[in-house]
Amino acid sequence: MPPPNTPGGSPPDLSPLHITVPPNTPFNHGSPRSRRTRTARNPYSIDENKVYEIGPSDGVDLRCLKYVSEVDENLLCPICHAALVDPVTTPCDHTYCEDCIYTAWKSNPTCPVDRSPLILPGDVATPPKIVLNQLDALKVKCPCCGDTLPRSMLRNHLSRYCSNALVKCPDEVCEKLVKRKDEGKGCLHYDSECPDCKEHLQEIDMESHREVECENREGICQHCSETIIRCKEAEHLKSCPEVMTSCKWTKYGCQHGALRKELDAHANECRFSTVGQMAEMLQAEISTLRDQLHTLNEKDKAQERRIKFLETHPHFNFSDVSSQSVSRLPDSSPTAEFPESRDQYLLSLLESQESKVDQLSVGLTELEAKQTMMLFNETIPIKEQLAELRSAQGVIGMHVRWLMNFRMQERRPGPGAGGSSESGGPGGDGHRRLSDTMRDVITKL
Amino acid sequence: MANSQRRITKELAEVTSDPPAGVTVSLANESNVHEWNIMMDGPPGTPYAGGKFKLLLVLPTDYPFKAPTLNFKTKIWHPNVTFDEKGSMCLGMLKGDVWKPSSKIMSILTAAQQLLVEPNPDDAVEASIAQKFKEDKAGFIKEAQEYTKKYAN
Repeated sequence: MPPPNTPGGSPPDLSPLHITVPPNTPFNHGSPRSRRTRTARNPYSIDENKVYEIGPSDGVDLRCLKYVSEVDENLLCPICHAALVDPVTTPCDHTYCEDCIYTAWKSNPTCPVDRSPLILPGDVATPPKIVLNQLDALKVKCPCCGDTLPRSMLRNHLSRYCSNALVKCPDEVCEKLVKRKDEGKGCLHYDSECPDCKEHLQEIDMESHREVECENREGICQHCSETIIRCKEAEHLKSCPEVMTSCKWTKYGCQHGALRKELDAHANECRFSTVGQMAEMLQAEISTLRDQLHTLNEKDKAQERRIKFLETHPHFNFSDVSSQSVSRLPDSSPTAEFPESRDQYLLSLLESQESKVDQLSVGLTELEAKQTMMLFNETIPIKEQLAELRSAQGVIGMHVRWLMNFRMQERRPGPGAGGSSESGGPGGDGHRRLSDTMRDVITKL
Repeated sequence: MANSQRRITKELAEVTSDPPAGVTVSLANESNVHEWNIMMDGPPGTPYAGGKFKLLLVLPTDYPFKAPTLNFKTKIWHPNVTFDEKGSMCLGMLKGDVWKPSSKIMSILTAAQQLLVEPNPDDAVEASIAQKFKEDKAGFIKEAQEYTKKYAN
């Protein structure tokens, strides 16, 4: 009998599906970790002194989330009354959050709904996949940016994409956190002075301070005397109705300048409006024509090269070149005048092929990246399932070992010397027979 | 524990938005979600009808893993409530070994109301009242009505 796989032992080889995930990537965050910690505990004893952590260890407490719609009552944990987080199911078929049932179990080792006796962690199992999928699909609001997304994506979203999530400051020495969208601005953790209220604060807080908190944040636009937020003045000036602006036909010669709100009236009577519209139309036309000219030029060049080539090599064997462009060449009257143009043509062919290969390789890398992402996404649930299976296997292994021990202990204080020699004989035979068959199997292999 | 507070807030919202008939719930102190003031009308058809009873529900810090306590602040003459300043109540589901973390406050409130409708003389804390309830129903009703008028108005 093979030795049972112990939970603490080395994991089995996962060769075809195993993907090593580097540390600190989103793929090794999330629920699989908490399940693994559960299986690492000894199924037969529970450490009374151990404090079972409430909430996840990676910073996102799924219980605090705002759900977009009311969560189905069947998906609520009876203990915390929130949508289940890392759910487990008891033998009496009640499902709780893993953390909740452990805490409840510590004060009373029974099922909190029907009070049937419960042994943790051996008794609980992962609920059916359909429940997990329903929980994963619950729509939540991202606590940082307010976007709506499925709950299972949240950790990935926060650790990779959310522009408002906090990440480490890009400065290597600085140990503070910045919002992801400010990451490109360098370290903003230095003292600075608000130009409006002269208060000293960190540059990183300046934007929100000037927009929301600063007492002097509001100013009056000097043109339209409307209240504006000072740091947004530049944007306001672009649309302020009281600012002097020039007519939109300036570049065609209109000298008129007026307040923005009066420009509309001018636009109707501007003498340049007809010219301007015409000019714009013409310009659009010219640019399309230019494009066409450019493509025609290119075509022309290519044709010229072909003609030159054919002129030089009247008896060129087409089958030598497996390029379609060559086989489509028209017949032309050959005159051997440019002996060097053959090389030229071949070179140009080579160039075009090279550029095509380049394009293809770019396309390939894109596809590869997509494929890898898809693979990653598909592998996460598989890895989760694997971890669960491994834990289940470990538990079964422990059971088997325990049973074996039990059996052996039962047998040891058995009959005396005579009995043991009797039972020893056939036992030994059986052993030999077994090893013989094993050897046969090995030789067959 | 944040989890405990979250659950309490959730239940408070539930109970205040849809309370059992004749019950109103408010916080004893706005900053402390662990103490609830409960105003309960005496259920109609009982000697307590017409009375308004004030109760205090105290939720322990490790709620829902430990049972809450429910005391009558208004004196009530009832076999299962001590007839003193404490007003301790003997409610089956709130006993330590019977309490289940899955029980809701809503069900505690309805259980308390039910106890007023149907006193449980076999599990009494005031033996004399229980005896009267068993032996002299009419006298019990009369006396309970008098005490209700006296204290719960």
